[in-house]
Amino acid sequence: MNGAVAWQTPGSVASPGSAEMDTNQDTTLDALVARLADGDRSAFTLVFKILWSPTLRLCMSMLKHEADAADAAQQAMEKIFARASDYDRARPAMPWALAIAAWECRTIARKRHRRREASKDTAADPSFDGAEDELVQRDLTRAALEALGQLSESDRETLVATFWDEAASVSGATLRKRRERALDRLRGAFRRLYGLD
Amino acid sequence: MDSTDRIERRARVRYEATRVRRALIGFAPVLLVVAIAGLVAKRPSATVAFGIAMFSVGVVLLWYGRDLKRAVLPGVAAGLVPLVLVLCANHVRHVCMGDNCMTVCIPACTVGGIVAGLAVASVGVRHRSGPSFWFAVSAVALLTGAMGCASVGYAGIAGLALGFGAGMVPGLVRKFLADRPA
Repeated sequence: MNGAVAWQTPGSVASPGSAEMDTNQDTTLDALVARLADGDRSAFTLVFKILWSPTLRLCMSMLKHEADAADAAQQAMEKIFARASDYDRARPAMPWALAIAAWECRTIARKRHRRREASKDTAADPSFDGAEDELVQRDLTRAALEALGQLSESDRETLVATFWDEAASVSGATLRKRRERALDRLRGAFRRLYGLD
Repeated sequence: MDSTDRIERRARVRYEATRVRRALIGFAPVLLVVAIAGLVAKRPSATVAFGIAMFSVGVVLLWYGRDLKRAVLPGVAAGLVPLVLVLCANHVRHVCMGDNCMTVCIPACTVGGIVAGLAVASVGVRHRSGPSFWFAVSAVALLTGAMGCASVGYAGIAGLALGFGAGMVPGLVRKFLADRPA
């Protein structure tokens, strides 16, 4: 299996068979991360090489700042490998790793935002933070919707009604209980999908 | 920006550190067994010394992972047989049949060793595992059993080892026959 992976480089052009190739590579990555989770250290370098470029690209696209993106990618890689032993074989490895990276980017973006607020330096480029926040927000919304999609129809209905403050068919303690259970299941789905709360 | 090699090294350190932490936490309940054995045993220092050795070996195996990780639980389970037998025998001391009396500690070590050996061999044959698994599961089982037999002295440990070896023979023969090319 070693050496069988040639991950698509950032500038490479998608060929007609690239979708199939990506699927094969994802399957290979899944197998490699599963081996790493089992303690097979020979998969380490290969997994690192496969994940590094997409992680860095994701961080660049989210943070739009080379140094911050490099920091975030580095920390994300450390976290990905720290959690590699907990990797759930039932889940695809690439989205799992990128979810950790996205979370790391969000954390760094928040820190940067706070830092800028503290130094009152936001006036220099007021539009930049807004765009970045919007990107982060969009990413989170997509993740939340995906987790919501894992829930039952009634759970979804309860949460959507809660969100829009709509009157539900039940009220009082029953609604409160139903909402609590739905939120618990949503948390569980989010954790299953992204390994994060 | 750090070089990729440096980032890889740091990721590797985090990976290993997490595995060590998981192994320590995962195997920590065994310390309860060691503590109970230490309280019940006649020579707690020897029991605890073997217990610490068993815990260390278990943590290393869990940290390493792969096939060796799967040797830990069967090893502890098999080793509990001689451990419990000997700790009980320690409190009986001897059995009399007519005019003849005999101590039961060393026989308990040997019988426990035989049962542990049979159990370990059956697990090894069923898993179709390699020599490293056999070695690891035997080490954990023997160290667990030795926690009890240590209170009997060297003779107890020798009895355990002999019994264990004898118990393994049928399984090893079956494995040898199964592995032999037709």
